[in-house]
Amino acid sequence: MEADFLATVLLSSLSSASILLIATIGLAVVFGLMGVINLAHGEFLMIGAYTALTATQAGVPYLLAIPIAVVVTMAIGALVEVLIISRLYGRIFDTMLATWGISIAFYQLAVLTFGTVSPGIGMPQISVKIGDYSLALYPLLMNVVALLILGFVYLLMTRSIYGMKARASIQVPEMARAIGISSARVNTMTFALGCGLAGFAGAVLLPIVPATPSMGFAFVIKAFLTVVVAGPVTLTGSAFAAIGLGGGASVTASFLTSVAGDAFFFIVTALLLWRFPLGISARWRRKL
Amino acid sequence: MTLSQRIYRSSAWLLPAIAVAMALVLSFFIDPYLAFLGASWVIFGLLGLSLDIVWGRGGFLSLGQTAFFGLGGYLGAIAAVNFGPVIGNTLLPTLPIAALFGGLCAGVMGSLIFFARMGPLQATILSYTFTLLLWSVTQSLKFTVGDAVVGGDNGMSGIPGMVIGFGPDARALAPNGVFAVCVIVAALAYFATLALMRSTFGRVVDCIRLDIQKTELLGYDVRLVQVANMVWAGAVAGIAGGLFALWSNYLNPSLFSVQEALLPPIHVLVGGLGTLAGPFVGALTIGGLSFWLGGGAAGGQTTLILGVVLVLLVLFLRNGILGALDQLWRRFLPDPNAAARDAGEVRINVDDLDRILRDAEAQVGPAKPMETDQAYKQFGGVIPVNKVSRSFVPGRPMALIGPNGAGKSSYLKTCVGVYQPEGGQVTIGDIDVTNAPIFRRVRLGMGVKNQKPQVFGALSVYDNLWTAAYARTRDKAKASDVAGRILAMLGMTAQSGVEAQALSHGQQQWLDIGMVLCLAPRVVLLDEPAAGMTNEETRELSLLVRTLARHTTVVVVEHDMEFVRTLEGHVTVLHQGEVFAEGDIDSLRADERVLDIYLGRRQHV
Repeated sequence: MEADFLATVLLSSLSSASILLIATIGLAVVFGLMGVINLAHGEFLMIGAYTALTATQAGVPYLLAIPIAVVVTMAIGALVEVLIISRLYGRIFDTMLATWGISIAFYQLAVLTFGTVSPGIGMPQISVKIGDYSLALYPLLMNVVALLILGFVYLLMTRSIYGMKARASIQVPEMARAIGISSARVNTMTFALGCGLAGFAGAVLLPIVPATPSMGFAFVIKAFLTVVVAGPVTLTGSAFAAIGLGGGASVTASFLTSVAGDAFFFIVTALLLWRFPLGISARWRRKL
Repeated sequence: MTLSQRIYRSSAWLLPAIAVAMALVLSFFIDPYLAFLGASWVIFGLLGLSLDIVWGRGGFLSLGQTAFFGLGGYLGAIAAVNFGPVIGNTLLPTLPIAALFGGLCAGVMGSLIFFARMGPLQATILSYTFTLLLWSVTQSLKFTVGDAVVGGDNGMSGIPGMVIGFGPDARALAPNGVFAVCVIVAALAYFATLALMRSTFGRVVDCIRLDIQKTELLGYDVRLVQVANMVWAGAVAGIAGGLFALWSNYLNPSLFSVQEALLPPIHVLVGGLGTLAGPFVGALTIGGLSFWLGGGAAGGQTTLILGVVLVLLVLFLRNGILGALDQLWRRFLPDPNAAARDAGEVRINVDDLDRILRDAEAQVGPAKPMETDQAYKQFGGVIPVNKVSRSFVPGRPMALIGPNGAGKSSYLKTCVGVYQPEGGQVTIGDIDVTNAPIFRRVRLGMGVKNQKPQVFGALSVYDNLWTAAYARTRDKAKASDVAGRILAMLGMTAQSGVEAQALSHGQQQWLDIGMVLCLAPRVVLLDEPAAGMTNEETRELSLLVRTLARHTTVVVVEHDMEFVRTLEGHVTVLHQGEVFAEGDIDSLRADERVLDIYLGRRQHV
């Protein structure tokens, strides 16, 4: 009985960590490759969720709605980058303020378009039994999705031409420009990719987290903290931080309340930043 | 001085004073509803001021000012509910407690951020998530303190209004009176802040924003100053929160919401970042606009409009209303930097310099040796400093040379304290400073001139020197004396009032060296001082370094062999992080092994 409970808590905490990782990875990509934090990340997640929801309501199968959400958020992200972010390179405070303005504007647009409550989509009601406890299958599935998305980003960064250019631009910007890499285009692509990953997260989490205009704010506390704790090494850093912080918060939340989980998250983050002021991976030699 | 110049110089207090007087007069006439709204604009101006202190002056974008505002408001309201009925007056218990609590919370957050030396991005995100966390925590936080009931998302109601009388008969003020009280409190906070920012404390705050490393290299403990600045800003935000509680009689968690947190940056940007008065102008403009536009179609979409406005402000109106007016006004004033154009070449007055160095020695004691014992620094697989043991003594210049990548600069950074060595020991005099922060080494007598000129661009030449001199003397009169003498020695008296950023590259180098001399250092570290200098300037520099070495320990890292030769000093050759050879320059020039590593012949590479 005790062991069952513990296993349940551990499994669901692992799922929480994976969900956090899925929601964070786009933010981490933008931070790692462009050095800025996209404060509108949560709203791109929300846009992804609403796109998937609208598509399924229009009769598109859910699995097909996910890529649609990715494409839509990527397009919006690219537009935002070209129109706004690209004018603010090198001004990180201004970039944060601008994306913050975008965040709040998107939020209000969503309120206007969809209202404050909206129906969720039916979650596949399959569950797994562990002793006396049963766990829903879909959140468990998120562990697999998190691994897949990590693998995807890893392959994209190491195997694609875009990934090579992006990594070259962040490591030695002058040299990258000297050999003809257009950093503006790489940045647009990176930002769009980050937004697309946010959109993917919103869509794929739709069965667990129903689309609401304010859903972004619920995610961003943990996502932002994960990214600053992780530091500049996108993949490994975020994976470590998400599992440690997300898992820890989820364990705390299951014994106490979800607010206590958030508070745990914040306090541990503050302590970690005290020890590693630029993130845990700031001094790592690996760059991915 | 023309009338325009005089008004311009005193505009920071004169114009706000006039505005305050006008507002107080108006408070007798205006419509009560407008007074009610006006009070809230003043309160938000005060909140904006708190952000301007940390961001416009301190250089840290805090998105947590509404958190200190809300926390101050809540605690102030609890005080008002409990003490108000007892003594009658509600301002007296509310505002000090709100200020204290706001300052305390800001102090805790500031200590965390600044003592850990977090990056700007990390710091901003931490402050933002703190606000968001409070938003969710306060939704479910329910407790009672005496008569005060904090009711989670139901908020806290029954907060008394503003009462300035005492005793049981005292009545709450009408809206016009509330407006007047807010104006007076805001004015007090503004003028106190203005005085603080014009004091030496404010000078150091400005220097930290302009160049934090240089400020620390002058011997200021930048972390303490940053935290103190944050505490002051938190207290101002707390006072604003206390006023807000008494104004609205009701508080709820939406104080901590994103929509609320968005307001201070907008007000600051509209009014003008770093101007202190700007946030009030911004709050009045935004508040006034939404009032005149009314609650129609535009009024319902405030959030959307605010978001878009923020993006547009960041993109197009960086200086805000006051910043734009300032630029316009300055066009009609004489250019303070005109003197920069007539600056001739620098000629060091050796007699003056000698006298200055003698006086410094009389004041702060003899030169100190600097030593490293087995100093070791590693970055991954690269070892730029490999067990270097060296002793630097006064008498003649000690030069460090070596081919590119020899570890010269890394070694110097280990001595300065920019890098913490993994092994070995660094001492100044007899004191172990291996893990001491930079400013402590400077206070022990270290003076550092980095390769690029580090001057505070927005400050005048004289103020640059004065700030350096004050760091050591901690006495305004002595600092003025020292700064004046160094200025004369450099022959830059005519450029005294010029902004340092208007100087040429070479002159900035001299100014930087002058700032180092203001510290009366006992050990001077110069990193490639001749870089980017003309032949004449290099000759003057060589003279200065040789004179300096008669009185203090001087370590020069240099590339330019000709310059090193003119120093006639002791030379150490570094190669691959280790001491390779030493002696005077002529014997090293005859050394085949040294020639090998410089020319890249096969044997020793």
